[in-house]
Amino acid sequence: MKQFGKVLKFELKKHLTSKGFVGVTIFLVVVIAIVMFIPRITALLESGEGDDTPTDLPVMLVKAESDDVASLMKEYFASAFPGYDVQTTAEGTDAIVEKITSGEVECAFALEGMTSYTYYVNNLSMFDEKTAVADGVLRDVYRVNAMLAGGMTEEQAADAMGVVIEGKVESLGKDQAQNFFYTYIMIFALYVVIILYGNMVSTSVATEKSSRAMELLITSAKPTAMMFGKVLAACIAGLTQLVLIFGSAALFYNLNKSAWGGNEIVSAFFDIPVSLLVYMAVFFILGFLIYAFLFGAIGSTVSKLEDVSTAIMPVMYLFIFGFMVVIFSMTSGSVDNTLMKVCSYIPFTSPMAMFTRIAMSTVPAGGIAASIAILIASTVGIGFLSAKIYRAGVLMYGTAPKLGSIIKAVLKA
Amino acid sequence: MVLTLREIEKAFGEKKVLKGISFTAEGGKAFGLLGRNGAGKTTTIRILMNVFSQDGGEVLLDGKPIDYNKIGFGYLPEERGLYPKQKIIDQLVYFAELKGMSRKDAVKSVDFWLDRLGMSEHRNKKLETLSKGNQQKIQLITALAHDPDIVILDEPFSGLDPVNAMLLKDVVKETIAKGKIVLFSSHQMNYIEEFCDSIAILNGGQIVLTGDLREIKHNYPRNRLDIRSEQGEKIAAEYGDACTVGENGELSLLLSDPAEKAKVMQHLAETYEIDGVCVHEPSLNDIFVEYTEKQI
Repeated sequence: MKQFGKVLKFELKKHLTSKGFVGVTIFLVVVIAIVMFIPRITALLESGEGDDTPTDLPVMLVKAESDDVASLMKEYFASAFPGYDVQTTAEGTDAIVEKITSGEVECAFALEGMTSYTYYVNNLSMFDEKTAVADGVLRDVYRVNAMLAGGMTEEQAADAMGVVIEGKVESLGKDQAQNFFYTYIMIFALYVVIILYGNMVSTSVATEKSSRAMELLITSAKPTAMMFGKVLAACIAGLTQLVLIFGSAALFYNLNKSAWGGNEIVSAFFDIPVSLLVYMAVFFILGFLIYAFLFGAIGSTVSKLEDVSTAIMPVMYLFIFGFMVVIFSMTSGSVDNTLMKVCSYIPFTSPMAMFTRIAMSTVPAGGIAASIAILIASTVGIGFLSAKIYRAGVLMYGTAPKLGSIIKAVLKA
Repeated sequence: MVLTLREIEKAFGEKKVLKGISFTAEGGKAFGLLGRNGAGKTTTIRILMNVFSQDGGEVLLDGKPIDYNKIGFGYLPEERGLYPKQKIIDQLVYFAELKGMSRKDAVKSVDFWLDRLGMSEHRNKKLETLSKGNQQKIQLITALAHDPDIVILDEPFSGLDPVNAMLLKDVVKETIAKGKIVLFSSHQMNYIEEFCDSIAILNGGQIVLTGDLREIKHNYPRNRLDIRSEQGEKIAAEYGDACTVGENGELSLLLSDPAEKAKVMQHLAETYEIDGVCVHEPSLNDIFVEYTEKQI
């Protein structure tokens, strides 16, 4: 236990004073500070510019069969596309195309009657929804005309078109749309920290082995003390970095809260329930430890630093598989699918899968407790197993040993 | 303190690495563990230090199974290596603490040894900034700072310049004088001869020779004469294959019967112009080569 404390202290100091740790943390905190101050800076700049509203909006052309229809459609399109300077045109297709390709005009709608049109645009963006809006405009115009033709007064038609429907949503479980953003960020943070620090653990063990410091370490401390101390130090360092980064983000957000006021996504992120933060901490620590133990054990089986990345690949694939399952389930909106339910109880995938389900769905307390219990038991088991692999692995030099010889050595250790 | 290894056996898979290793080393004396590469020295040392356990046999201290919680080991491995990017003081204190010292005592002891080895000015530097020889001195401190009962030095003199070798010799002598058990493993036989009272020679995982070094030398057959003479060719012609010429021009004459040496010496002195003739004193190197030339 005493040796464990010494190893933990030494390794933690090594992490916290490393240039990489200090540099990355400062860089990220500065970037977050800049991002968080952006609304305030923008507001300041805008107030300095006075009330001048920008007039150089992108141009949208509307072409119709007659000038009357064109000017009517211009009004409708202008109110449907407030970010555009909508203009009518009577020019031919070639001239319109020429204007769009030259960049003078961004896009154009050439109406062929009241129910069909051609949309001209230079590069069709993945997120271009203008045709859907135009469809709506034309559909409304068609309906109003039909109502007027059917004998309705303009007021009646306007009432029918402008009817307001009042609907309330009572989400009994979680609001996935609101939780998606912060769950995604937390899962991503978990992913990055495990990959980064897990790699660090395996590299650190392999470095000690290749620099032969291991010769001295293995005769000075017990393998369990070495392994647990090393892994826990990396875990604390990772957690410290996360707390510093997210803590500074929260601080800077609170300083600029009024400037961010209207942004629902950002305010939702800084309004994460405390219970979820606790779950995040639990799954982060356990998930980190189980992978870091594996990475450490693998690091002890290679003799050269350049072999580390190849050796850790199988574990990396396992981890990436878990990450992919979670991300695909999140984006498809079904976090409670069968695969996610199974992954919630497998120790290598449960830190991400169960956490996502807790954040975005409703999981029975018994299920959460079972998942955490399995994870704790597996982490402790993997910890001791990895210490055994470490003890056997660090004395194997030469080419990377085969799995069979590692198992034999572990059984003998 | 008497350290005894009795019938130690160890196999890795099918390969038997140690086949019944036995030797005894006493406190206040240095013991030389010799053998060619792959003879089993490092495995013996690792078993002795409890890095892994033996398949058979026992390690005893004063006749009882050794208690690894009470007995401290200091180890200078042949493969040197510490943390290149860490401060020297930090890592030396770390290793001393791992060996059970309090931080305060560790700092005090490390500072003493840095001063003793003339390394105080490098205290707060990173290890990688030092020369190879100086790094070796730092590594030596990891073996001595925690005041161990048994000190194991594997090739301690390799890479040291003559001045540093002299300094290390003094340190080793002081350690022996303090009553510690010092185990030496080296291929530099002159150092073994200088320090060690007893030796064990390993070959193929077996002890092929062990005991008091003076007795070993004394019992070595004195059947060779070293002859210096201007008439070497004539002497060689008389004795044929029994006579060989060394690199320095000296003749070496192998006697079929050691009891005849006085008679042969008299004959040589009367027959030829002899500058010098004496009975060949075997060096440890000769003994080592003889016992390990054929790898078992």
